Amino acid sequence: MPNLKDIQRRIGSVKKTQQITRAMRMVAGAKLRRAQSAIEAARPYAERMQATLAEIARSQRDAEHALLQSRESVKKIEVVVVTSDRGLCGGFNASAAKHAKAMFEQRRPELDELVLTHVGRKGKEALRREPGVVEGEFYPLEGWVDYPQAADIARRLARRYAEGEVDEVRLVFNEFISTMNQTPRDLQLLPFHSEVAEPGNESEEALAYEIEPSATALLATLVPRAVEVAVYRALLENQAGEHAARMAAMEAATRNTEELIDSLTLQFNRARQAAITKELVEIVSGAEAL
Amino acid sequence: MPYQLSIVTPQGIAYEGEVDSIVLPGSEGDFGVLADHERFLTPLRVGEVEIQTGAELLFAATASGFAEVTGNAVAVLVEACELADEIDHARAEAAHAQAEQSLGQLAADDDDERYAEYEAALERAKNRLSVSGRRS
Repeated sequence: MPNLKDIQRRIGSVKKTQQITRAMRMVAGAKLRRAQSAIEAARPYAERMQATLAEIARSQRDAEHALLQSRESVKKIEVVVVTSDRGLCGGFNASAAKHAKAMFEQRRPELDELVLTHVGRKGKEALRREPGVVEGEFYPLEGWVDYPQAADIARRLARRYAEGEVDEVRLVFNEFISTMNQTPRDLQLLPFHSEVAEPGNESEEALAYEIEPSATALLATLVPRAVEVAVYRALLENQAGEHAARMAAMEAATRNTEELIDSLTLQFNRARQAAITKELVEIVSGAEAL
Repeated sequence: MPYQLSIVTPQGIAYEGEVDSIVLPGSEGDFGVLADHERFLTPLRVGEVEIQTGAELLFAATASGFAEVTGNAVAVLVEACELADEIDHARAEAAHAQAEQSLGQLAADDDDERYAEYEAALERAKNRLSVSGRRS
């Protein structure tokens, strides 16, 4: 039977842990709301951009851009794994890393080279020992995701693609579906194709625009921006997902500490009762001996 | 005749409302848009948007992007946008000094990419300063 003091000390320590997990849960909850509103705020921009790109793709078939053209043989791909900088968020980062690994296995036979670029520290740590990949760049997140940061990453990726250093760029990130659900997915970033730009099935050619100076010049500003938006979106989803996952993990941890405290309290009461009974027995038997 | 203007940035909608006329910094030169303008698409450079609503005249500093004019609505998609009276003059001043300094340090060794980056930053800072001077 552990003695009373030990049990009391353990209860105290579990209570302190509970304070921490509970505080972390609340902080994650507040951050999640902020992260969600950032996603909301970015949506109109992304949607309009998509719509315009689709419109140009539809009405100006001859306009071209280097980032839209796919390569005939894809030998070198760059995979960008987006994760969080910090842990204590359940399986959030592990699932992104696992998804990336599965994709590597699938693609590897046809490739000569696989460049692995990381956004966020945890993915880098998880995939450190991945064999047969070339280590690319690393971008820590450091605080809140902002557009210039995402744009900078996107520009570097686009340049490597345009210069022919890689033939395809893929993004792996956790999509924020709901507070309880974040699903890792991967998407082809480059060559870029806008999701709705399937030619032919739209309405008639009536709505064409006057474009100045030319469709190609317009694409030169539009396409890099659309790539930036795609990266920005991945970072935002990752950010919201991180906080949601941490909130869920800390919620579970808080619940566990509650259970632990309950069972320790029970143990404590039993031990105390046992001690009292023992003392009583001693007193009684002592009195009888007289 | 008023029409609908929205200025959208990745951070959210910077301006939305009915306006009488606007002047936009097109890549080929500034251009004005009145109601019933033809359908028109053009890139925008870093510059100043002039918004006329009734008797009120607003200025906004915008980063590069593009504008989509459709009949009776104009959508301006830019990376950043600040209305003239929202610009923190001291901060703009500091950003300008910072950009100038980084550019000065870089002149010695020629890293093209960095250079372009700082140059763009300087341009944006200059633009914000000039627009914040236009507050009405």
